[in-house]
Amino acid sequence: MPGEKTSQKSEERAVSRRNFLKHTGTIILVAGNSWLLPVSGMAADSKTDPGIPASDGYLLVDLKKCQGCASCMLACSLVHEGAASLSLSRIQIIQNSFEHFPRDIAIGQCRQCVAPACVEACPEDAITADKRFGNVRMIDLKKCIGCGACAEACPYIPSRSHLAPHESFGGQNKARKCDLCSRAPFHWDAAGGGPEGKQACVAVCPVGAIRMTRKIPTQKGDAGYQVNLRDGNWKRLGYQDS
Amino acid sequence: MNGYAGRILRVDLSTRKITHIPTKKYEPWGGGHGMGSAIFFDLVKDKTIDGFDPGNVVTIMTSPLTGTLVPAAAGRTEVQGIGVQSHPIGWFTRSNFGGRFSAMLKFAGWDGIVIEGKADRPVWLDIRNDKVAIQDAGPLWGRDTRETQQKIWGLVTGGQDSGDWMDPGPGETRESTTQKPAVLTIGPAGENLSRLACLIHDAGNAAGQGGFGAVWGSKNLKAISVIGTGAIKVHDPKGLMAARLWQKAHYAFDLEHLKTTGGSFDFQSPPVPITMWRGGRPRNDQRPQACLGCHSGCRGRYDDAAGNEVSCFPSVFYWDAKSLDIQRRASDLLNRHGLNAVELIYGLLYLTLMNRFGLLTRSGIPDCPLDFSDLGSLEFVEQFLKMMTFGDDGKGGQSAFGRDVSQGFVRAAEKWGCLGSDLATGILMFPYWGLPIHKEPRAQVYWGYGTILGDRDINEHDLDWIKWDASLAKVYGRPPILPAAEVVKVVTDKMVPYQGDTRMLDFSESNIYSEHMAKLVSWHRYYTRFWKQSLLFCDTRWPDFVNLYAPDKIGSTGEAEPKFFNAVTGNNFSFLDGINLGRKIWNLDQAIWTLQGRHRDMVHFADFIYTKKGIHVDLPEAYMPGMEDGVWDYYNYTPRTLDRKKFDEFKTIFYRLQGWDPESGYPTRATLDSLGLGYVAAELDKKGKLGRPGT
Repeated sequence: MPGEKTSQKSEERAVSRRNFLKHTGTIILVAGNSWLLPVSGMAADSKTDPGIPASDGYLLVDLKKCQGCASCMLACSLVHEGAASLSLSRIQIIQNSFEHFPRDIAIGQCRQCVAPACVEACPEDAITADKRFGNVRMIDLKKCIGCGACAEACPYIPSRSHLAPHESFGGQNKARKCDLCSRAPFHWDAAGGGPEGKQACVAVCPVGAIRMTRKIPTQKGDAGYQVNLRDGNWKRLGYQDS
Repeated sequence: MNGYAGRILRVDLSTRKITHIPTKKYEPWGGGHGMGSAIFFDLVKDKTIDGFDPGNVVTIMTSPLTGTLVPAAAGRTEVQGIGVQSHPIGWFTRSNFGGRFSAMLKFAGWDGIVIEGKADRPVWLDIRNDKVAIQDAGPLWGRDTRETQQKIWGLVTGGQDSGDWMDPGPGETRESTTQKPAVLTIGPAGENLSRLACLIHDAGNAAGQGGFGAVWGSKNLKAISVIGTGAIKVHDPKGLMAARLWQKAHYAFDLEHLKTTGGSFDFQSPPVPITMWRGGRPRNDQRPQACLGCHSGCRGRYDDAAGNEVSCFPSVFYWDAKSLDIQRRASDLLNRHGLNAVELIYGLLYLTLMNRFGLLTRSGIPDCPLDFSDLGSLEFVEQFLKMMTFGDDGKGGQSAFGRDVSQGFVRAAEKWGCLGSDLATGILMFPYWGLPIHKEPRAQVYWGYGTILGDRDINEHDLDWIKWDASLAKVYGRPPILPAAEVVKVVTDKMVPYQGDTRMLDFSESNIYSEHMAKLVSWHRYYTRFWKQSLLFCDTRWPDFVNLYAPDKIGSTGEAEPKFFNAVTGNNFSFLDGINLGRKIWNLDQAIWTLQGRHRDMVHFADFIYTKKGIHVDLPEAYMPGMEDGVWDYYNYTPRTLDRKKFDEFKTIFYRLQGWDPESGYPTRATLDSLGLGYVAAELDKKGKLGRPGT
């Protein structure tokens, strides 16, 4: 079921699956760098690396409230890439029309992990906790070489970092991940994004199933990030608020 | 090309040739229906062929807005071709469906699909970005719509776990996707050429009208699957995002300040499933579920997964069900078989009434295999659906009765020799083109007129809310949203170029055959042909005429549609430009129907519309605005008949307003030339079907 997939992947999957070679082709042959392959058992709830400050902002989602319209995905790609796309979205909504509620929808939002595996895995230090934007874990596209190590390291399915060709870089593969709209070239609001500003997915969600919080969510398991955002108003529409 | 993918896929199933048409060639038509009609006109030389002829061309079109953030305009797909459901002629017709298919098609790099010919054996179309393959559907044939889609998901994703990043296969792009393929499929009904067969996508999206399921079945086309990883360029991304948020803030429901708590057919409705199961709204734990990009979902998904994504007519189906649970399962079975809800609702009603009044045993009618003492049970509806699907007794045995009704109830009655009498009494509630009633033609005249002057039940709810609000106001003793005098002004003010004529919404007896009414019907055709069926603004949420959240309750229609269209495409299109293009498309459609054999003498309702008073199918009393003795109010116009002679005169008024020859209803050269349709006039002329000059 999609809902179960947003938890940590198993050790076997971490080691056996891998498509990043498919994307990068020759990257392994770029000599010299002793970058670590993802180590099995690397967990997102490991102790804070004192060198990586925690993010000021986190996206929380309500899986029961979501109406599966994927407006968040379209808004995300629109403000980041200037085009509507599901593949370029930094938040992923995965559905099965025939499945039982609430297992019919899974939401994969970046958790801005306290111990970010993607930051640690990047061989080029292209992903950092960017202090200009509240320590949101952000990709410097100029430094990114499209190797996919961040995607491989992400403990969640689907990986919250993913590769796709980038128009501004001649179609070269670059990683994409949620930056809480810190650097969205097509942001609609003069005040912009980031933890201090507005996120496209939060703003566009018709039912308020996504919220940004400044409080660090519990890192272990899903309960910190999959929350109840339903209230009496939701109940008035005939839905359950628990 | 902003908004467009740039290419239209063209598949010839006979030769298995896969080519494409540049979208630019048809861009002047906007998208959706306009493109579909134009492509059909160009590709089908002999417009008199039957829908089952391999020469029938089916178009499946998106719009520049689908797959973008335009609210309630991002998810629909328009299907067109020669239908097999209407009678006596299967008109060139349309149906559309929601969900995520059109967006996925755009992301794959296609603005639409054109299907020609007939495959020599069952096939399915496998679209993965720019890679298109015709696959063997042998293992899929016979499966219901749910099984088929699940099977195709597995085939395309290679059995990969759901929700992980997947590369859909070699092609020009290298993005991956977490999404399942979007599949449009027929069920066993289409395979068995039931004229009532439809196309199904996901759990509950359906192109229900026209019998396209059977058309696909006749082409040996089981399903079309598409997975796309690309992006749709938008002219003004910031502007589109800002417009979306502005529309949300000013015209959409507000959870903190809800003005209504039920689902309704308008922009401001909160996301509540519009289901009409007789047991009421299921108390199961559930969510609202929306088509891609929609700001307010109109259907739901439930903790027992029964009736997922069902709304409207599929939930009205089997209203004799003994329990809510049975009725919900019946909706699912209907979708899994892939059958048209509305024909089955009124068809089953016909059989039930015949049984009750001892009319099933009239001579000429074969033995009916159904046991009406069991009406209401799950077993009864399972048998009924199988009968309609396989044309048998519903239990695997032969049945002339089953064979006849699976081709539609009007055709069955005609075969049995009771069509005339049953349309006279009205026991067979199929008032136009052999199609079932929807809304009351005698009260909501614009609905019946639009239908009889077109190809099918219009199913366009643009003005229906006026009747609902006024009628429920009477029932519950509350004031209507607006008094009649105001509502007619607010609404007709938006009906460019006819704005200012409030009599367009005067449903009094003295006005329903007037030029005012002809203008209403005309405007309605033009608006829906372009804005709703070509650009694919969804009928459940658009137009936004009257909005409870807006100042003076004046909705955003007229401003919102062009604003979104221009933000996506970079055009400088006005609302009126769209109305005018809608008129052009309507003229093209009329030309096609004319070539198919339409003449004004065919355009008449079934007898019971003229001889029996209206009973209304939504409510026992339907209040509509009217001016009586100079006073605007809402009056109950249900219990009246239409006047045959006056309706005939109305046709003359309508044809004149269109610039068509009133003697025949044929478009004239002058009108077609003025619309840039000189090539259409040439073809009509060759067939001797051009309207007389100077008429």
